[in-house]
Amino acid sequence: MPDYGQITVGAGSLDVRLVLGLAAVLFVMGAVGVLIRHNPIVILVCIELMLNAANLTLVAFSAQLHNLEGQLFTLMTMVVAAAEAVVGLAILVDIFRVRDVDDVDELSDLKG
Amino acid sequence: MIVPQLVFWVMAVIAVLGSVGVVASHQPIRSVLSLVAVMLALSVIFLELSAQFVFAVQVIVYAGAVMVLFLFVVALLGPARERPSRRLRFHSGLSILVALGFGALLYTLFNGVGFRAPDAGQIVGSVEQIGYGLFTRYLYPFELTSLLLLVAAVGAIYLSRGGRTASEIHRLEEDERA
Repeated sequence: MPDYGQITVGAGSLDVRLVLGLAAVLFVMGAVGVLIRHNPIVILVCIELMLNAANLTLVAFSAQLHNLEGQLFTLMTMVVAAAEAVVGLAILVDIFRVRDVDDVDELSDLKG
Repeated sequence: MIVPQLVFWVMAVIAVLGSVGVVASHQPIRSVLSLVAVMLALSVIFLELSAQFVFAVQVIVYAGAVMVLFLFVVALLGPARERPSRRLRFHSGLSILVALGFGALLYTLFNGVGFRAPDAGQIVGSVEQIGYGLFTRYLYPFELTSLLLLVAAVGAIYLSRGGRTASEIHRLEEDERA
């Protein structure tokens, strides 16, 4: 049975597992950042990092399966990420206009 | 040929170092700039994986526009103070557990995962192919994303419209007290 995990890249080849492993490492770094950081801006940045790792996974499978849908979905993800960044940063600016925040745990006013 | 793997490894090292910079930097502006480095490294890997249009969009829209928005907000809000991390109970035990689980996942990825045969034909990811996909089979999702962008723009304008700043509120409270 041939190894379908090898992607032809130009004259050489690349193992798709390496790409998936890199995406997994980046995703976990982003998740760790969301968990351990307190600054709301840095948490948004870490979420962007996780979205990028997911995009890398989609593109890797798109190249392995010779299927364009992964790349189309990546473009949709980028639109969602841009919308998320815009709204999240607008909320942050609105919050910082009223008071300084040095820990997201302080922002618990909406708790029921 | 070793060149594709060499390019991949160089970009992977840059991306991982950049992600460490994102998480470990004390200044938010360094986190943002490290994320730009990660995105540029990933864009080169996209190009290697024959995703030309995604590469261009990643550089122009993501590393260009979205990150500039982040930089604007960081510059607007000024240097941030951040409370140092508190340690949880069972902190090191939990860390080891999570690291072991992640290591097991990576081990199965490299040893136990099989892939199905690729579809017939080659893809290039050129603007033509992407455009054909977006405007035929995926027309409705594509139009819905434009609606999403519109809603996000309206929401951002609503949220960031002029209001009282912290110093104004402070002055108003002073006046009331006086």
